[in-house]
Amino acid sequence: MTAAAATDATLIAALLATKLPFVAFAVILVLTRGRPRLSAGLSLAAVTVSLGGAAFLLVRHWGLGRPIEYAAQWVAGGDVSVRVGILLDPLSLIMLAIVATICFLVQVYSLGYMAGDPGFSRYYAFMSLFAWAMTNLTLAATLLQLYIFWELVGLASYLLIGFWYEKFSASEAGKKAFVMTRCGDVAFFLGLLLILVHLGNLDIRELNGPAAGRMSPAVVTAGALLIFGGIVGKSAQFPLLTWLPDAMEGPTPVSALLHSATMVAAGVYLFARLFPFFALSPTALGVCLAVGTVSMLTASTMAMVSRDIKQVWAYSTISQLGLMIMGLAAGGYAAGVFHLTTHAAFKALLFLCSGVFIHAFHSNDMFVIGRQGGRRLRVPAACLVIAAAALSGIWPFSGFFSKELVLGALADLPNPLWVAAGLLGAFLTTYYTFRLIFILLFPAQKGPEKIHSQGAGHNHHGGYAAMAWPLVVLAAVTVVLGFGEHAIVQFLSRPFGPVPAAAHHGWLPYAALGLGAAAVWLAWFEFGRRGAAQIGFVERVAPLHALFSERWYIDRAYRWLLDHVVYRVLSRMCAGSDRKVIDGAVDGLGQATASAGGIMSILHTGMVQYRLIVVFVAIVGLAIYFFVWEHHGR
Amino acid sequence: MAVPFGYVLALAGIVALLGICCAVARRNLIMILLGVEVMLNGAAIAFTGAALRWQQLEGQAFVLFIIAVAAAEVSLGLALIVYLYHRTGSLDPQDYRVLK
Amino acid sequence: MNVFNLLFFAIAALIAASTVLAVTRRNLVHAVIYLIFGFFGSAFLFYLFGAPFLAALMVIVYAGAIMILFLFIIMMLRVEAPEERLFPPRQLLPAVVFAAAYVVIGAFLLVQDPSSAAPLPEARTEPSAFGRYVFTKSWLAVEIASLLLLVAMVGALLIGKRPVKEGEE
Repeated sequence: MTAAAATDATLIAALLATKLPFVAFAVILVLTRGRPRLSAGLSLAAVTVSLGGAAFLLVRHWGLGRPIEYAAQWVAGGDVSVRVGILLDPLSLIMLAIVATICFLVQVYSLGYMAGDPGFSRYYAFMSLFAWAMTNLTLAATLLQLYIFWELVGLASYLLIGFWYEKFSASEAGKKAFVMTRCGDVAFFLGLLLILVHLGNLDIRELNGPAAGRMSPAVVTAGALLIFGGIVGKSAQFPLLTWLPDAMEGPTPVSALLHSATMVAAGVYLFARLFPFFALSPTALGVCLAVGTVSMLTASTMAMVSRDIKQVWAYSTISQLGLMIMGLAAGGYAAGVFHLTTHAAFKALLFLCSGVFIHAFHSNDMFVIGRQGGRRLRVPAACLVIAAAALSGIWPFSGFFSKELVLGALADLPNPLWVAAGLLGAFLTTYYTFRLIFILLFPAQKGPEKIHSQGAGHNHHGGYAAMAWPLVVLAAVTVVLGFGEHAIVQFLSRPFGPVPAAAHHGWLPYAALGLGAAAVWLAWFEFGRRGAAQIGFVERVAPLHALFSERWYIDRAYRWLLDHVVYRVLSRMCAGSDRKVIDGAVDGLGQATASAGGIMSILHTGMVQYRLIVVFVAIVGLAIYFFVWEHHGR
Repeated sequence: MAVPFGYVLALAGIVALLGICCAVARRNLIMILLGVEVMLNGAAIAFTGAALRWQQLEGQAFVLFIIAVAAAEVSLGLALIVYLYHRTGSLDPQDYRVLK
Repeated sequence: MNVFNLLFFAIAALIAASTVLAVTRRNLVHAVIYLIFGFFGSAFLFYLFGAPFLAALMVIVYAGAIMILFLFIIMMLRVEAPEERLFPPRQLLPAVVFAAAYVVIGAFLLVQDPSSAAPLPEARTEPSAFGRYVFTKSWLAVEIASLLLLVAMVGALLIGKRPVKEGEE
């Protein structure tokens, strides 16, 4: 496909934005491991170029009508052909901007957060690796290319979650993340193959075009569901959601970058990317809707009882991703993508603010931090409140607008169940968010304040600035982004033709705001006011508390599955087959040779008389031969 | 001679077979050598019969050489047997399985 | 039925019987003596076939020198202990199998071959004619045979040399 009005500048900008972080990664890993500041500088330089390129592309192609694609043939054989290339359309441009911005801000933040860590260079190398993989995933033109970078992003995630690998729980968490997402990726790959076989190529534009519609509905549904399996894994939806809370073992900037804003959003991005393809199959959309709803609600319940700040935000991420998937599956393409955009900003902000608290108080427990006077860190506290308000969908922050869009898309569905679920989810979200805010920033009981007071201010005067500025930038974005809703929605929807005016549900904003207010009041009642018991209504019901704390026993189910099915049956079969069949065959070959040798060695008795017999037999044989030759052969 | 040539060959064959059996089935080195002598005897009978049948002196000359060779080989063989006996004290071929 | 026929069968019986006896004796000296009888039988047979010189040679060289050499060695080595089992089955069995096959194949070949039915003519070789033949037609073989005898003598002298106690030669 040739580019429409292609100029070299676009291609160069796209290439630089996506390829340069890899150079940084390679250079840091090979050359500058021993010089942490140089490594950080290289990585930051690369990601700054990426940011510049992304901004340039976004601005230049703001009026983009038809997508621009640069592609080249990679695999061609028979009736199958796979290409690689760069696809620029509104969705990928926005996503690239998001990714580049958050990468940049988090890398700046890490200068302060990770200062003094012995693995500083390694950290920035992996950050560059992630930036490279994620930007390429965003601009991928074919599904195979996307899949490759999807896996690379998973690799970066594994490396970064287990960054402090000396800690057993961290390396275990990294392994768990990798394996769980891999399970989803298997489904994704199967879907890829299915589509490749039936369609002949994996171009995203082809998939979104009319050609895909000519495949049989069963194939389309199967392909869509299998690809959705990959999304379930990557975006931590039900049932593959337990890796994300464990992934909080990684450093907080990693959680901010990967596990809230960008990597887990890659799943939703894929969904949006293939939105026309998914829309061909209402069955698949129904399944996606159900899965997203279940994820959203269960994750919200898990967040309500958690004591660990990062875990609350992790569950919140799962929940919000579920909401995005619900929006997309309900047909609200622009709604889902806009929520993705705003969520990236405020969720990253939430994590980064929490990171400041964690770094200062050396604890993840919100009760501990609250008692030790978390409120004294002014900038993080203020940004935290702003981000929490955005997450809860409070006007005028960006979350309000994006949630409205999604709830509107849900309300357009014939079944009122979904919008009710969405509203319930919004209620729970506000509740657990403000539970955390009250516990952390407005603790009812003041504990001993002197213990860590020196830890708050004096360790990182230099680093504090590095950590504070990204917070301010993100907070500003959160405040402002909501008002750009209309422009962004227009931009996103342009390839699909003129946007029909959405049915205006007048009651929806009021319902949402009312529920939000009720949830804030409930949280204040239970946690914020003086003399509050600091026990949530859920925690009073012991079975519910147990259920939510144990993550709905999903991990137990997996453990049971692993122990009883995988280890006992499959692993045993495979190990047995490996031992008996493969080793047996190879050993058997050796044994057979040795036995044959043993049998043959009977001939070698060393007894000279046996050899004589052999001689005589040979001579008799010769006699017969000559006889035959003389009398018949002539 | 009214004996068909085949009878002579049969006799030679029987004698040769006896020699083979002696060489193969006895547990004494000297008997092996004796078996070789018997085989040579059978060969000599065959050659002489053939010389008579085809009226060529070639066969008889060859018997001469058979005898000469037998003499040479017996002397060497027995010398070896004596040597082995003095080395190992045994004339049993089962004891000479070094090359097993 | 001819005199020569009868003679042949008698001599053949003598040879066969004495060879069988020689092969199956436990006492080595007995075996050698029987074999000497067998060689005498061969000598008679050669004379019957018209090779008197060869008959004489058989008696003088074969029965008279080679077998005597055997006797010398047997008596020198003082092989008194008889073998515990004359024909051990692990050697007898291959020999029997081989013998059976040999007999079958040999009989088959002999019956098949047309020239085996040819009658043997009467003839007699004068020793002088024989000698002339040997020294003119196959003189090279004679030289080689004499060389062979020389080699055998040297070898036997070397191998038979004592001492054996100090290890290698």
